[in-house]
Formats: sequence, C-alpha cells, structure tokens
Amino acid sequence: MSVETTAPAGGSILVVGGGISGLTTALEAAEVGYEVYIVEKSPSLGGRVAQLNQYFPKLCPPTCGLEINYRRIKDNPRVKTFTMAEVEKVAGTPGSYDVTIKVTPRYVTSKCTCCGECAKVCETEIDNEYNFGMNKSKAAYLPHEMAYPQRYVIDPSIIGTEEAQKCKEACKYNAVDLDMEAKSFTLKVGSVVWATGWEPYDATKIDNLGFGRYPNIITNMMMERMASGNGPTEGKILRPSDDKEPESIVFVQCAGSRDENHLPYCSYICCMASLKQATYLRAQYPEAKIYIYYIDMRTPGYRYEKFYNKLKEDKNIFFIKGKVAEVDEDDNGNITVVAEDAVSGEKIRQKADLVVLATGMQPTAAKAKPNADLKISEYGFIQNDFDKGGMFAVGCANKPLDVVSSNQNATGMALKAIQTVKRS
Amino acid sequence: MSEKYMVEPDLQFIDDVMGLGGESLKKCFQCATCSVACPIAPENKPFPRKEMIAASWGLKDKLVGNGDIWLCHQCGDCSTLCPRGAKPGDVLAALRSYAITEYAQPKALGKMVNDPKKFWTLTAVPAVIFALLAIMTMFGGSFMAGIFGGELWYHTHDGNPFPGIAASNFISSWFVDMIFVPLAIFVVTVFAIGLKNFIADMHKNALLEGKTAKEKIDVKEFLMTLKTVLPKIAKHRQFTQCGENRERSTAHMMVLFSFIGLFIVTSVVFVGVYFLHQGTPYSQLNPIKWLANVSGVALIIGGVLMVKQRLDKKEDQVSSYKDWYLLGLVLTIGGTGMLTQMSRLGGSAFLCYTFYYVHLISVFHLFAYLPYSKMAHIVYRTVAMTYAEYAERK
Repeated sequence: MSVETTAPAGGSILVVGGGISGLTTALEAAEVGYEVYIVEKSPSLGGRVAQLNQYFPKLCPPTCGLEINYRRIKDNPRVKTFTMAEVEKVAGTPGSYDVTIKVTPRYVTSKCTCCGECAKVCETEIDNEYNFGMNKSKAAYLPHEMAYPQRYVIDPSIIGTEEAQKCKEACKYNAVDLDMEAKSFTLKVGSVVWATGWEPYDATKIDNLGFGRYPNIITNMMMERMASGNGPTEGKILRPSDDKEPESIVFVQCAGSRDENHLPYCSYICCMASLKQATYLRAQYPEAKIYIYYIDMRTPGYRYEKFYNKLKEDKNIFFIKGKVAEVDEDDNGNITVVAEDAVSGEKIRQKADLVVLATGMQPTAAKAKPNADLKISEYGFIQNDFDKGGMFAVGCANKPLDVVSSNQNATGMALKAIQTVKRS
Repeated sequence: MSEKYMVEPDLQFIDDVMGLGGESLKKCFQCATCSVACPIAPENKPFPRKEMIAASWGLKDKLVGNGDIWLCHQCGDCSTLCPRGAKPGDVLAALRSYAITEYAQPKALGKMVNDPKKFWTLTAVPAVIFALLAIMTMFGGSFMAGIFGGELWYHTHDGNPFPGIAASNFISSWFVDMIFVPLAIFVVTVFAIGLKNFIADMHKNALLEGKTAKEKIDVKEFLMTLKTVLPKIAKHRQFTQCGENRERSTAHMMVLFSFIGLFIVTSVVFVGVYFLHQGTPYSQLNPIKWLANVSGVALIIGGVLMVKQRLDKKEDQVSSYKDWYLLGLVLTIGGTGMLTQMSRLGGSAFLCYTFYYVHLISVFHLFAYLPYSKMAHIVYRTVAMTYAEYAERK
C-alpha cells in the first residue's frame, strides 16, 4: 500500500460532524495522507454513539470504538478538530470551497486539566442534554466522561455573573477565559463531507403515544442513557415517576417511523435497538415481562436475525404484531397501552410499569438546513450527487443506518472526497 | 387460525372497490392502528384492520356479508391516524357501496345507479313519465275526467280543481300516486330480498370469524332488539363518539329528521286524500304545512352543511360519485320543494310547475333508486347495528 505523504495544495477535506461517521471519514482520509478538518457543533466528539450504553449485536460499550478513534485523531497531525463550531456557509465549486466556520466560546482553554474545581464552586444547574434532560449538570461541566477534547465548558447562561467569576477564580491552571468571544474564519478545502447525523424524533409530536404527558413513557435513547453507567441513574433502569424497578415493560416500535404523519421512512435501527434494550432489562430484572409491539420486526442480515431469534426463545419476552395506537395512565403511574393483535384479531389492553417508545431518527438537516449547494430530500436527508461531486453526505445524514453500515459508508465517502481533491 | 386457508383473490372486486372511493386501500401495511383509533370498534375482532387486508387481497366473501362494515360511521379517526394514508374509513365506505349493489336486485340497475355516465339515462325515465303525465293532466282534461269519474281526479275534497295554481293542476295527484305507490312496493320487495340474503350472510360471517356465540337467529328476539337500537340511531350515539368529524352529526341528524318529517307529512296527506277527501295544497296555517316547511328547511341546511364538510375535508376524505349523487339529490329535493311552494304563493304558474316537475324527478330518483344508492344505508346499517346488538358483539 502506498501512502501519500503530502497532500496537494488546497487539497484538504472538511468533515462536518464528529460522530462515528465523521470520525471514520476523517481518519480514513487523514491516514492516507490528506489534511482533514473536523467541525463539530457540540463541545465533544462522539455524536450519538457516545450516548449509547452498548452497540448491537455484540453488546460491547461504545468506548470500544470511540476510544481508538480518539487516539488515532490525537496521534495524527493531519486532523484538526474544531468543537462548538458550525459551518455557516459553503461557497465555491468542487476542488475549491471557501467554508465559513463559526465557533462559539467555550470559556475554557486548552489549559484545562479536568480537575473539576470550577464545577465544585458553581451552583447554577442546567438541564443535562447529554442525558436528555433526565438530570441536571452544573453550568461548568465536562460534557461527559468520554468527552473529546477532555475539557470543561462554561454554559453561556452564567457568563457575566459572579458565579462565572467564581469558576475563574477556582481554576488553578488559569484555564477559564471569560472574555472569549465567538469568532468566524474561513477554511479553504477541496471537498466537504457532511456527517451531520441525526436527532431522535421529537416524541411529543406523536400525540396518541403520550410522551411528555405521562412520565413513565420514555424514548429508546433515554433508555440508553439510563442503562449507561455514566447516565442519570448510574446504569439502573428505573421508571421515572417513582424510581420503581419495572416489572413489566412495553416497547412501542415504529413510534413516529413509517408514519406519513411523522417520519414516513423506516429508521432502520429501532427494532434492533429495542431487542438490545430487552437484553439490558433481562440482565437487570430476570423476572420482568417484556412486551414488544411491532408492525414488522426488521432485523436485516444474518447477525441481526440471529439476535432476534435468540430473544424469541426467551419466555419473558413477548412479541405482539400490532402497533400501539393509544395509551393511558392510572393513578399509580402505570401505563396501559392499547393495540390490536393482528394475528388473533383481539384488542389488547396491556398494563406496564414502563413504556419505551422506539422513536426513529430524523436527519439533523431536516431542521438545520446547511447553507451549501446541496440536494436535500423532503425528509431532510442530504442526497449524494456523484456526478457533481465535491460534497458528499455520509452516515445518517444521508440515510438511516446502524453504526456498522455508517462506518462502511464513511470509508467509501472518504475515498470519494479524496477523488475530488486529487482531480482538482 | 390453524386451518389451511387458500386465498383466492377476486381482482375485479379490488378494482371495483378502488373505483368506489377506496383507491387508497393498497397502501395499508397492516399496522392495526386503525382498529385502536376507531372509537366504536368492538374489543373482539375489531374493525377496520381485518377489512383492509381482506380488501387488498380481494376476499369479497369476507367483506360483502360482513356486518362490521356497517357499524363504521366513517368519522375518519382511523384515516387521521393511519400512518400510510390508506384511509380505512373511505375503504369501508366503498365496501358498503359495493355491498349495496350486491344485495339489491337486479344488479344491473345497481351498476347504473353507481355509474356517473348513466345518470342522465336514469333521469330520463322519470322525466319522460312525468312529462307525459303533465301533458295528459293539462290538456286531456275531459278524457281524464272520463276515466277517473268527474273532476275528482284532481284530488280535491269537493271534486273541483283547486282554483289558481296547484301541483295537482299540473300533474294529477292520481298519476303521482299511480307512480309512487307501485314504486314503494317495488322498493320494499327489493329490500326484502336483499335483507334476507344480507342477514344470512352476516350471520354466517359472524359465526365463521367468532364474532357471535348465537347459533341461530331468533326472529322475534331480533325484532325486539330493534327497539333498543332505534333510539340509539335517533340520538346519533355512534356519531358523537367520533373525534375527527363530530360536527357531521348535526348535519346528518337534520337530514334524517327532515326525511322523517316529510315522510309523516306525505303519510298524512295520503290519508287525507284517500280517506278524508282532503285535497292539496293545505293552508299555510295547517300544522302539517308547518312540519313540511320546517323539514324542508332543515333538509336544505343539513344538506348544505354536509356538502361544506365534504369540501373542507377534501384532503382527508375521498368523496366520490356515490356521495355527491346522494347529497345532490337531497339538496334538489329540498330546494325544488321549497321553490315550488314559494313560486305557487308568489303566483307564477310557470315557475311553480317547472320546479314541481324537477321535484318529482328527484323524488323519483331517491325512491326508485333507493335500494341501489348510498341511501340504502338507512336500511342496511340499521339492520347491521341491530344484528351486532343482538349477537352481543362487543
């Protein structure tokens, strides 16, 4: 294998988004000699994967893939990372783009050692977005244990207050810089890869499924956070209203997906996600009854099908063909879901301690449309135009994918980006 | 569920149902949201999910004689929540329309009634008949008097033609009755034959699908059940459970009650003419006249509301020929009825007789084609609801 040691002039690649797809694209390109910029809007790389408890089907933790990628980035001088940064505008043509980047202030410099003294003195608490608001964090915080860069953030809500001043004073390393300002700059790149990923579909919009109305109805991503050791419950899956250990759990598949009124497409991962989460529950509560209501169980490929078949043998996991279309709550916070079992033709009213909505993925570009010459589908997926080239969408910015396929896709798109850079 | 079942799709049936307003039926992917969304579907074998799969598989036998399609009041709650835009509510409406033409003999006439291209042919029948009768009444006076015995043929209490403008001076009421009385007998016969088959099929289907525990239908008990169902219909109990389309209840109630009112008026006038020799038109102060006018106005308002609601719901609900035909008829009957009266009081014989002529044609439409049009739901739905109650379908 020949490795390019020098990239052609102006031949750098910009990757928008530092999730698993973006990281893989960046590394694949950088490790064969291209200069790569990663622009990530949140304070840490890792994206949605960093929020997971385990991957399916191997059930290993996400640190598994992320750590090694972080390490590769750290060791590679060709990768430059901007966090809390967003692309404001892309101008130019394939091979020669001018990209305007806007960076919002973190108020903490690279001198930070993560000693945590600033958080200790800070009293203001903010919703912890990493845990979907299930708990609070200090306004001076480390995004999460696996954050990259390992650096605290001071929330803009306390800037200008005494509290911010206290944080600054508490820092022994002089890493807090309250005068930091937003800045914009332009990057000249040959190719742009959009790895802007996805957001969990807003479950409050699915009116008949009661999310937001009844506390014991949660989403699958909330379940991931709860099951994670670094989550709001330190890995214990408890129902939100009273911290009770759930004895019966209902999974509602296609909560918003495959639905014209919400996301008309299949989100691809939710069936496997629910099956995986059933194993979390099984491990914590061997006696709990788990009910999975579905339209079709979609477990593509041999490995996923095997995973499903194994769970089908479990005597405490019940699969019911029929979509939940109505929910109700009793005085004790128990939820009753209503569905028609399409096999027996009976209406079922199932009581459960906890209900998990298997919400799907909505591409980030559906709400935050990039300011660039891109073809974006009706549902917000960035469409690839390989004839035009220059800019490419990867991973879930392009279509709903699991982690494995995102990585495969990212490798391919890295090559596409390299081709653009080489030809120009 | 375990027995072998060979699916024999009737492709023509699928096409027909799609043509009757069920064009979206193939979009269904059987998620069963509809059966839960429906506020009136029973717990055991709820509809319309099972009807949707049977329709897309062309299983005519499972649908035509299925009483459940009549329990649906097409409120549209299922269509609103449907993730695929398969509009189960509209599919069930199309199935009902299909079922009506299956049970009403001769089927050829049913086909014509539901075919927009045949509308003018069907209209020509009463138009020619009533035109002939008008000519005979107006110009064949002495000849007519010879047949019917004196001036009595005008249907007036004293045997004299009503002075001035009167419907019976245009077309003899004798003639009108000579058309409508046999027509009524015909309609009742068609319904009787249709219902006999319908009830038998409905029971067979219910037994097959485990929807009832009753082995045989006890006629007396069945008729007694009607007594509990009729007040429910009168109060529109099923309609008011709907979430999506609740306001429709008022409009439907207005139309139903005005038809009942007009039926009472017609019966009273009939008795008046034949037994009390009381001719028409009645004085404007007569309570029967009041009832007729209130009903007429309610019919028009109800009809207009229904048209408006359909137009407002263009996106969510399919409105096909069967729906517009009936609504058009309701409005024409109401409108020409009122206009006939107004132009008579206003003193324009020409206008009065023209409106009356159109009125008679539209009433003929409603009557003669009743067992074949959507209007037949008044009979089938009532019977199906009675059966569901009787069969303890819950």
